[in-house]
Amino acid sequence: MIHFTELDHLPIYDVRGRYLGRLMDMGVDPGQEPRRVAAYHVRTPKKEFLCITHEQMQSISVRSAQTRVPLDEIRCYSPDEGLIRIKKDVLDQQIIDVNHRKVVRVNDVDFDIQPVDSHTELRLLDVNVGLSAAVRRLLQGLMAKHTIRTISNLFPAKVIPWEFVNLIESDPARRVKLRISYDRLAGLHPADIADILEELSRDEQKAVIESLDDETAAQAISEISTKMQAELLGSIATAKAADIMEEMPPDEAADVLQKLSPETSAGLLAGMEKEGAEEVRELLGFEENTAGALMTTEFVVVNERETVEAAISALREFEGDLDSLSVIYVVNSLGMLTGAVPLGRILLAPGSAVLSDLATGPVIFAQSFADAKRVVALFHKYNLLTLPVVDERGRLLGVVTADDVLELVVSRK
Amino acid sequence: MNQKRWRHWRARLLIFLAVLGPGIITASVDNDVGGIYTYSLAGARFGYSLLWTLIPTLLALVVVQEMAARMGVVTGKGLADLIREEYGFRTTLFIMAALVVANLGTTIAEFAGLASGMGALGVPRFVAVPLGVLIVWSLVVKGSYRIVEKVFLVACLVYIAYPISAFLARPHWGEALLGTVKPSFHFHASYIYLMLALVGTTIAPWQQFYLQAAVIEKGTKVKDYVFSRWDVIAGCMVTGVVAFFIIVACGATIYASGHRQIRDATDAALALRPLAGHAASVLFAFGLCNAALLSACILPLSTAFCVCEGFGLESGVNKRMHEAPAFYWLYTGMLVVSALVVVVLSEEKQIPFILLSQVANGILLPFVLIFMIRLSNRKDLMGNYQNTPLFNTVAWLTAVVMAGLTLLLVVSAFFPNRLPR
Repeated sequence: MIHFTELDHLPIYDVRGRYLGRLMDMGVDPGQEPRRVAAYHVRTPKKEFLCITHEQMQSISVRSAQTRVPLDEIRCYSPDEGLIRIKKDVLDQQIIDVNHRKVVRVNDVDFDIQPVDSHTELRLLDVNVGLSAAVRRLLQGLMAKHTIRTISNLFPAKVIPWEFVNLIESDPARRVKLRISYDRLAGLHPADIADILEELSRDEQKAVIESLDDETAAQAISEISTKMQAELLGSIATAKAADIMEEMPPDEAADVLQKLSPETSAGLLAGMEKEGAEEVRELLGFEENTAGALMTTEFVVVNERETVEAAISALREFEGDLDSLSVIYVVNSLGMLTGAVPLGRILLAPGSAVLSDLATGPVIFAQSFADAKRVVALFHKYNLLTLPVVDERGRLLGVVTADDVLELVVSRK
Repeated sequence: MNQKRWRHWRARLLIFLAVLGPGIITASVDNDVGGIYTYSLAGARFGYSLLWTLIPTLLALVVVQEMAARMGVVTGKGLADLIREEYGFRTTLFIMAALVVANLGTTIAEFAGLASGMGALGVPRFVAVPLGVLIVWSLVVKGSYRIVEKVFLVACLVYIAYPISAFLARPHWGEALLGTVKPSFHFHASYIYLMLALVGTTIAPWQQFYLQAAVIEKGTKVKDYVFSRWDVIAGCMVTGVVAFFIIVACGATIYASGHRQIRDATDAALALRPLAGHAASVLFAFGLCNAALLSACILPLSTAFCVCEGFGLESGVNKRMHEAPAFYWLYTGMLVVSALVVVVLSEEKQIPFILLSQVANGILLPFVLIFMIRLSNRKDLMGNYQNTPLFNTVAWLTAVVMAGLTLLLVVSAFFPNRLPR
């Protein structure tokens, strides 16, 4: 194994023993072989740059490197955006460590030396974000390389295998060229993705969000602070932002829209699907910090005279978040809230049972203008998971869920 | 037609107010204990003859801070982050080490000021300082940092006392204004030292790191950048105005009285006599303690954030101790060590620490300036917001002059007897 700190400024000779220059950087081509170093960038004493391909490299060690070909066969360096350059794009940059769900800084990059046919190849092993690499960087160039190795091995190494490294690249075109995808990142829990997002700079956040699918993006954005949500959604393309907001629960979308400027807000609403936009506009009509502003309009409601079977088909057709569903609300033909049926009861009752018979006790509800404190008090007193919200005539408008209330309680502290 | 124009201006005003903050706060923390004493000394010892250094210094301050604000808004990355990504590990390590030493010394000076101010009110320092640490630590860790900032900023309004006092002392305004525009130069050690100290206390490395981070925290959009620039200019003007009036007030009272020495807070408070009479000490002590506590809140915090940013370590006051160990150790360590130095050591023994911090600041500043200029010239980082050629000329000139001055300061700190008395 060899470290980038040991390869930096390595003297390079051609096949005839002529000194070419010092190794400045290396490039990896993700389109061809994603772990093999495809190009070596060498700076000559005349301050020009050469580019040695992987097939031209005969041997590499910590002492020096030698090519297989003479100088005249080595071409001049020309910048290639399709290469991942180790020093420029990886070293000292922030990357996403998917396994530990955080953002870390690369201190060193490790390679494997592999003889192949008539030449030698370097393959990317991992990046080192720990203390041993920091010590190596500190002592680099100050003493013999084997001494540095001995000293740095006294310190703990924290490595991330290359396949778990997610580079962060703000330029979307370059992301495509470098085949940077955030699939593994998308597999994390949205709360963890949000943690990672909060540690990135604004452009980097944009890069990640633009690469995730709408649903995952919406879930992740829901978990970051509201101020950051507004900044982030305001900075990505309106079309994508509107798509993401459609995937968010309408009450969250309304919260975010309130933080944006009126023009941006209007632009986003215009970009959303009619139905979704309507729901959000409705919620925006409520005063901040009232039950109406906290509620979501995505809930399951069935007429009280319907059967359990009808309730189950309503559940099947429900497009909202099933995870926070615990109760089905029943209304009369005027839309007025008359009862609540816990899902447990629905499961256990025969399909023909009428819902109004299954509804438990007097139904607890809040008026749409009730303030947030009252909502919290109700949740606490009656041990609720969801609280229905009605208008002045008693008609069901929406539902406040426990996570929103928790948010309130935590932010108050 | 008028309605439309009014709405247009109102929209711009609203954005300005939203963006306002980082510049003003940096300026207020600029008038910390070191600042107040240096300006007071300048006025007390030399009357109005050091006033001319204010305008060039403030010009330099605007140039430097504008770069920091612009980099923050355009790249969205902190200064430590940029230095690490562009200049590598070792450079970052040296800069961070120097920053910690420099800021530690400054924090010691803040607590020394707190002790001195409370001392003038009769509170012994082994009570005042630990109390100060407790207040600062709990406000930042337990309370809301935003509210803390706002509270202290409002308390900064106490600086109004200086202009009022200055007017009441009836100075020779003609002389003062002349002193502001006409450079006079006395080749004495104390004059040169004070001149260097004036510059050094106004432009400090930690400010650039803090301002850039604060601007990012504000979330200013790139297209609203112009307003950030006005925020910076406003902040620098505030610094300048306060400095001017402190110097004039001290010049009109302490210098004019012939006494011309400031040994402790009571002496410095004399500048406020015209306004407050016998309550001058109390007023001064209040202002001094407020400045000390505000800086003690912000400086160690900013240092801890910077270091963690440069090395990719976890940071954040809302994280638990075991989640962000380096951050907490660094922050708490700086507070505790500064407090210990001030409480345990006598005032003479504290001076070497404060001198050390001035030296560290002096060594650090030129490097930070050079890095900032080079970074803000990079097209791949700044896009269309690179430095203009005119700006570059001014910036490089500033950097060279600052480097020269601070070299002089460092030399004079090590060889205090080289300059003619």
